[in-house]
Amino acid sequence: MRIPCPYCGARDASEFAYLGDATLTRPDPAAPDAADAFHDYVYLRDNPAGAHSEWWYHSGGCRRWLKVTRDTTSHAIAGAELAGGAK
Amino acid sequence: MTSALDALPVTQMPPDGHYGPAGKHGVTARIFDPPALATLAARHGAGAALSAAARVELGLDLADAPRLSRANGLTAIGTGPGRWFLLAEAPEDLPAHLAALAPHAAITEQTDAMVGFELSGPHVRDLLAKGVTVDLDPSVFPPGAAATSNVAHINTSFWREPGDERFVFLAGRSYAVAFARFLVASGAAFGLELVHRG
Ligand SMILES: [Zn+2]
Repeated sequence: MRIPCPYCGARDASEFAYLGDATLTRPDPAAPDAADAFHDYVYLRDNPAGAHSEWWYHSGGCRRWLKVTRDTTSHAIAGAELAGGAK
Repeated sequence: MTSALDALPVTQMPPDGHYGPAGKHGVTARIFDPPALATLAARHGAGAALSAAARVELGLDLADAPRLSRANGLTAIGTGPGRWFLLAEAPEDLPAHLAALAPHAAITEQTDAMVGFELSGPHVRDLLAKGVTVDLDPSVFPPGAAATSNVAHINTSFWREPGDERFVFLAGRSYAVAFARFLVASGAAFGLELVHRG
């Protein structure tokens, strides 16, 4: 599998570290239901068959986090962008 | 299979000399200490101000891309968005030389951190094909192109020099022996000349 890094170009997946689901938002720790919300945030994951938005860290290249859209059934990658946008 | 590396401790730099069949001269590898090296990292939101300052103060067009920019004895290699290696051709106080950029970038002296490997010869890309996963064909990796990537499990930044077919790799100093062993193991079949310079 090759990941198209916007800065480095297409690179082998071995240059990247995987973090996981990029659609989650960290809950507010001050909210009254924070314990339940953090349990869901940390442990509960969808397991989609098909398009998935996920974080990959380009540790062997530009050292930037990428948000990658990958089809979990084929590994086809529809797009990748720098987390936090371009500088 | 036996090779010249079998008798060498893995911690010892392979000695200068010819590796491989006598009379074959496929690749020359020159190992060198960069005379002066620093990293440059644009401060948040300061990319445009940094490139303007580099142009005005140093005459250097800093490309925010994996490419080489060179002017007035300075070479910049893009390593990531808003980040570069800066190399000088002669020993000097590089952070002092770059002081005009300090309002726009973090500048870190790195001269002792990296070892350079300059590779040339008719079989240089045949050697590199055994460890580099980036396409080095000139149609996609032309003179001045640069990349940061893992080569033989060693993280390196490298580029193709303008002009004749010549590549320069920078590897962390503690990985220099391992990188030299990769060159010997992969290059001896083509005839490898290993020399230390400077
Ligand atoms: Zn990258």
